[in-house]
Amino acid sequence: MPHACGGRPARGGPGEALGAAAVPVGVIRLPRGPEGSSRGFAPSSPRFQALGAGGAPEQRQRAALRERYLRSLSAMAGRRVRFAMHERVSVAAVFGASDIDVLNFQVSELQTPLGVQKEALLRCSDIIAYTFDLE
Amino acid sequence: MAMRQTPLTCSGHTRPVVDLAFSGITPYGYFLISACKDGKPMLRQGDTGDWIGTFLGHKGAVWGATLNKDATKAATAAADFTAKVWDAVSGDELITLAHKHIVKSVDFTQDSDYLLTGGQDKLLRIYDLSKPEAEPQVISGHTSGIKKALWSSDDKQILSADDKTVRLWDRNTMTEVKALNVAMSVSSMEYVPEGQILVITYGKTIAFHSAETLEQIKSFEAPATINSASLHPEKECLVAGGEDFKLYKYDYNTGEELESYKGHFGPIHCVRFSPDGELYASGSEDGTLRLWQTTVGKTYGLWKCVVPEEENAEAAKARTTLPGTAEEELEDLASENSDSVYSSTPEVKA
Repeated sequence: MPHACGGRPARGGPGEALGAAAVPVGVIRLPRGPEGSSRGFAPSSPRFQALGAGGAPEQRQRAALRERYLRSLSAMAGRRVRFAMHERVSVAAVFGASDIDVLNFQVSELQTPLGVQKEALLRCSDIIAYTFDLE
Repeated sequence: MAMRQTPLTCSGHTRPVVDLAFSGITPYGYFLISACKDGKPMLRQGDTGDWIGTFLGHKGAVWGATLNKDATKAATAAADFTAKVWDAVSGDELITLAHKHIVKSVDFTQDSDYLLTGGQDKLLRIYDLSKPEAEPQVISGHTSGIKKALWSSDDKQILSADDKTVRLWDRNTMTEVKALNVAMSVSSMEYVPEGQILVITYGKTIAFHSAETLEQIKSFEAPATINSASLHPEKECLVAGGEDFKLYKYDYNTGEELESYKGHFGPIHCVRFSPDGELYASGSEDGTLRLWQTTVGKTYGLWKCVVPEEENAEAAKARTTLPGTAEEELEDLASENSDSVYSSTPEVKA
């Protein structure tokens, strides 16, 4: 019966030539080493493909959330939005568009305490929150 | 026909390899991580030694490295006063945990949710990996730098070793349960969950203790100072390596020395059995990792069992036509084999 740890030491029984030349175990090749300056973790490996780029679940979640936000911005276009600003200022306007970094909102018919502004740019850093109705 | 061990050398590190760890067995096989003083821990396929990737980011020698069970995460402990958690599939650095001194040891819980660290600041730290910015739970008590810290008893307890003591802690109360004084500086510690066995090495001694009571079960003396030892999963044999550059294999039940091998060109710092027990890996001061067969001559990984009658033709072919191997590497293979020292010839059952 095979021994888990590779067999008992030989006791020099009959037919055993003492000092017989032992044959080195053959190998099909040597272990592969690092490739040049690459850090490895090949994206082509089956494991990488299956398990994704590890933090993929989080990355996918981030991407999903961002997509939802961008869609919310386009859903807002042309609608009346109420903005809560600093100093307890609340204004309403028709939302036009956002710039690419979401730093400024282009709005029209901005109702301010000082009157209605036909076209205006709201600085996002001044906005605390905003709300609008989806029909 | 007697077979001689052909160790497989994994090169790539440029400085001493000081720690290594295997993952569990995953659907993609099992993996091996090596900690090196060059600061660049490497991930390898466990059964072949093939390099998969290098974790780049540490700014100092890496003293400890570990993989979680399914090899999706890696953790490393370094001299740059940080422990890092990595994505072991992409190689990306996920979390950096700042410490106040050199970190020596890292260990994941079974669910990979918590990371235990220990180092020169003599404190054990438990990090909740879902809240890495939160302060870790800290356990103090060690009076010298912690060399190794491991989860035990289903992650309900912690085993830690410093220079002269091995301590058992309860994870919930964060208090010490038991302490063991060791005669000489502890060089390594391994926890075997099945059977709750703790393997400790110090001086020339390889000792086995109960992980629950810390009582000694048995101990063996080696011919030279031992730096690391590992118990086979089926607990029938163990391997150890140390300052005389040799690997020793002992029968766990009788303590009899079964085999010994030369091959490394420097002291051996770490040795571990693979999760399936078919091979063991050793890391050395010479900067290499070597893989050794548990059953010499068996076909496994890159080793190929050659039938005796065809041996001459096969061996001659193998020696001259190994694809992608340089003449020097073949010479190395041959000279390594001629250096092998056997205390007795292992019997190979076909």
